Amino acid sequence: MPDHWGYVVAAYGLAAVALAAYWRRLLRRDRELTTLRTRRPVTPRSQAAPLSAHPRPEPTPRPPLQ
Amino acid sequence: MTRSFGWLAAIALAVGLVMAFGVAPREATQGNVQRIMYLHVPSVWVAYLAFVVVAAASFVYLVTRSAGADRLAAASAEAGVIFTGITIASGSIWGKPTWGTWWTWDARLTSVAILFVMYLGYLLLRAMIEDHERASRYAAVLGIVAALDIPLVHFSVLWWRTLHQPPSLIKPGAPTMPAAILVALLVNFAAFTLLYAYFVSKRVALLRREAEALA
Repeated sequence: MPDHWGYVVAAYGLAAVALAAYWRRLLRRDRELTTLRTRRPVTPRSQAAPLSAHPRPEPTPRPPLQ
Repeated sequence: MTRSFGWLAAIALAVGLVMAFGVAPREATQGNVQRIMYLHVPSVWVAYLAFVVVAAASFVYLVTRSAGADRLAAASAEAGVIFTGITIASGSIWGKPTWGTWWTWDARLTSVAILFVMYLGYLLLRAMIEDHERASRYAAVLGIVAALDIPLVHFSVLWWRTLHQPPSLIKPGAPTMPAAILVALLVNFAAFTLLYAYFVSKRVALLRREAEALA
């Protein structure tokens, strides 16, 4: 039977591309999280702004149906 | 730990390639195309391992509601889908010169395709539901149910008449393959397992950091 090296290269090449793509995705996410952390330092819960300081207004109660 | 797994996996993969192409002999019947086995069989082993880890971690999550178990299940499912995809692609490429077809709907190929689609669905389910706790709970149930397909995949070649060959390594009794082929295969098993460990530990760390960033 002939050796079919083309099929061997295709199989290993495809696997290498898939694994490298997933690895790069993990590294990219790692960098994104590092950037996010340096931009916005984590604030402890006790020092965070109180809930009442939220800019969104409190919901008003709906009037009862007549 | 993650970095160590990464370096160990890189070294083991390099050794595995040398074993597959330099040490293992040319197979008498199929010729050099049989060297796809050193990629195909370790990939499916890691896929089985990944989905068993998903099922175990999902069970732990349902019992304890541990966020760590949930992250482990999610990370392992991602790796499992990657390795199942590689298994299907490499098997299809190997099938063309040896069987004369890229794909056939026999029991082994179909059950692997179902496994792949179920875990793709698992990842989609996690991504689609906004309520994190609900997404984790539903995904945990699916992760356990989908793992029931693993024995079906593995034993399909024994239970039904298939084009795929029966298992030559993970089977009752001693392996029947020559020592040089067996050693090359075992080195690649170790290499792929280390790569899986690297991917999962890296992904778990990222998921933890994502959760901290959202808190």
